[in-house]
Amino acid sequence: MTSSDKPTRWYFALPIHGILLVGAVFFVLPLFWMIATSFKPLEQTLKVPENLTEAVIGTGWRTTIDGRVYEVTLERQIVPSDSEPDWIVRPLEQFSAGEMTHPFGPDTWHKYPIFNADELRRMDTQVTPEMKVLADKTNPFDERRGVMKLFSGREVRAELVTAIRPPADGQKLWLVREWKPSDTDTKEVGSTSGDVTRAWAVLPEAQIEKTIRAIPENYPAALKRINFVRSLFNTLFLCLLTVCGSVISSIIVAYGFAFIEFKGREILFIITLATMMIPFPVIIVPMYLLWRDIGWIGTFKPLWIGAWLGNAFFIFLLRQFFLGLPKDLLDAARIDGCSELELLWHVVIPLSKPAIAMVALFQFLGTWKDFMGPLIYLNNSSQFTLSLALQSFSSEHGGTPWHLLMAASTVFSLPLIILFFFTIKTFIRSVAMTGMKG
Amino acid sequence: MKLSTYRTITGYAFMAPWLAALIFLIGYPFVASMYFSTCDYSPLKEPLFVGVDNYTELMQDTVFRQSMLVTIAFAVVAIPLGVLLALTLALFLNTRIRGVSFYRVIYYLPHLVPSVVVAILWMWMFNPQFGILNVVLAPFGKAAAYLLTPFALINPPVPGWLGLVAVIVIFAAWWKTRSLSQDYLRAGHERFKRASTVLAIVFVAAVLFALTTWLNPIDIRKIQSPGWLTDGNPFPSGLSFAPSWALWALIYMSMWGVGQMAIIYLAKLQDVPVELYEAADLDGANWWQKTWHITLPMISPVILFNVIMGIIGAFQVFTEPYIMTGGGPEDRTRFVAMFIYDQAFEYQRLGYASAVAWVLFLVIVGLTMLALRISRERVYYAGK
Repeated sequence: MTSSDKPTRWYFALPIHGILLVGAVFFVLPLFWMIATSFKPLEQTLKVPENLTEAVIGTGWRTTIDGRVYEVTLERQIVPSDSEPDWIVRPLEQFSAGEMTHPFGPDTWHKYPIFNADELRRMDTQVTPEMKVLADKTNPFDERRGVMKLFSGREVRAELVTAIRPPADGQKLWLVREWKPSDTDTKEVGSTSGDVTRAWAVLPEAQIEKTIRAIPENYPAALKRINFVRSLFNTLFLCLLTVCGSVISSIIVAYGFAFIEFKGREILFIITLATMMIPFPVIIVPMYLLWRDIGWIGTFKPLWIGAWLGNAFFIFLLRQFFLGLPKDLLDAARIDGCSELELLWHVVIPLSKPAIAMVALFQFLGTWKDFMGPLIYLNNSSQFTLSLALQSFSSEHGGTPWHLLMAASTVFSLPLIILFFFTIKTFIRSVAMTGMKG
Repeated sequence: MKLSTYRTITGYAFMAPWLAALIFLIGYPFVASMYFSTCDYSPLKEPLFVGVDNYTELMQDTVFRQSMLVTIAFAVVAIPLGVLLALTLALFLNTRIRGVSFYRVIYYLPHLVPSVVVAILWMWMFNPQFGILNVVLAPFGKAAAYLLTPFALINPPVPGWLGLVAVIVIFAAWWKTRSLSQDYLRAGHERFKRASTVLAIVFVAAVLFALTTWLNPIDIRKIQSPGWLTDGNPFPSGLSFAPSWALWALIYMSMWGVGQMAIIYLAKLQDVPVELYEAADLDGANWWQKTWHITLPMISPVILFNVIMGIIGAFQVFTEPYIMTGGGPEDRTRFVAMFIYDQAFEYQRLGYASAVAWVLFLVIVGLTMLALRISRERVYYAGK
């Protein structure tokens, strides 16, 4: 555009800034949304943010129950009518929490695999006479007889604490329940409902205070789900092997292409370039069968052996770089009686460090991001790389915990972004070299 | 020993690992897949030769046809759009304004995000209920809806593809007379310029008319908050072979990674010799003329390279549809690479998958040849 060294005048610069800024917003939005979601509580991944603040930071609620301040969740809105109020009652007999709200009787729920151990424990929790419970239409309280009819069909004696009637000023009423950071790991909102041991209350909206709720606890919860330590180890193991392999083999082969004149070199080089055009899906079936016949499916070997035999793109990059080295220096070393390997080790490699760093970086990124390879060759979850672990977490059944997925995604992407800022020079050079292919 | 023999031996010694890769990891699978493509082959049986049966079956396989259509539609829309966007971005990033390196970093960042994360993250972005994209795009969608409503209301009963053909024909005619008029003007033939102006007006009218047949009131409602990945209906709905909303979502998503291409263009832009611009300045050329006659020809080889890599890339798209849509809705995002994966590893039909792979390879070679052929006169190689 402007080719002179003069800075652009402000009346040109301003609209350019404007356009670039609008574009930048759209480019940063997904990353921003990923990180913002990763700190949010579960219930906020299930509603449209009402305003910008809510989109940026998770919100929570705080209120006073029986003189103590609690962080709470708004479990549901209570809409009593004058003719059919809800009741807060104190049971006079003991019964188990599962009898109260759950559609299955106490004998049957253990047979249903949909409940996890934690949920079963909560359902088994005994409601004792010191506690208060909410008697609503599903567990109606008969004021005249002083009994509550449980969902399981049983009736227990109970005494009325308060009847909840519609507030005179038309405010909304909410059933609020104490919130704990560990709730972030539950699959659905409201699966803490059965937990009768927590503080709860029915309060008008005005008494509930909105607060900021950023939950770093999402991160450990998410990392546990993707078996982080194991997957990270697997990924790094593969990265190490492929980076070493690619660097060593590609340097040797590229040296051959650049400095040794032998019969068939040109045609071999053209074949090398042509192989870059073959899409992976075309050779995937025989490749899979090849590894299967050797018996390496379900091991890491198919994922790293190939790197030790060279990579067309890296060979090409290094050859181009080698050809740019001062030829006189190499000739002088040859005349001094250096063998090819000595020449490679003592002259070429020290001069080519930037290009080698680039190859290592490319290979590291490639292995870190690779998905299709691990998907096809690995079948045991203890071997999963990070990308495979993340994918299998995302495709688990039952509700999608977006906040945890985003936390895991952040952890998976962050190393690359940090690496980028540390190696920005190598990146810039690599872009210039990639363009060179044109 | 002769020096040349010695050199050849050393040379091949250095080549050894790569030769092994060429033979075992590329050559063998390449040839073997040709053989398997003529076999009925499942992992537990020996391959059984069946001739061209796989290929004849392929011709009748509607899912395969659908997946080819999806892949080509993606390539036809996403590649030109990506090149255009990347070029524009590169031109802006090449200006000397304060903080331009900050913008360069911002636009490059998405390229660093692993594709699994990209897929999961954009599923969340595209979530029609709670995703942020519809919240952010809502005002734009509303504005677009207001602009397009008049067209949707006219909606004459003409097949959509007829309109498309007309638009393409008129555009080609206008483009031809336009370039002709540039040559003839020098010779004093004014009437070509008039013809080109008339054709340009006809072209705009044809586009507007075609819009009325392509867009329905349903489209207008959807444009305000689309269901993205969940919607398999084509947009615009008058063109049955147009990308579905789900495919549009994937195209939109692929534009997120365009920064990488822009940075490559930027590197090339900075290599354009300053003297060329200085000479043009002396001749009194304006910004547009400089861009059209100097910048674009100078970076045309990179554009060609990106188009070819884009074609190959489109036929390899796998991770995103696999994670985000599983090929749905109604196979509207089942890319060819995913079709191969399904046939090979889900249905265990290795022979059939190989046949698809070979068709895919031939299509890629054909398209690449086409790109090279079309570009032969349009790409400028400096110093060659």
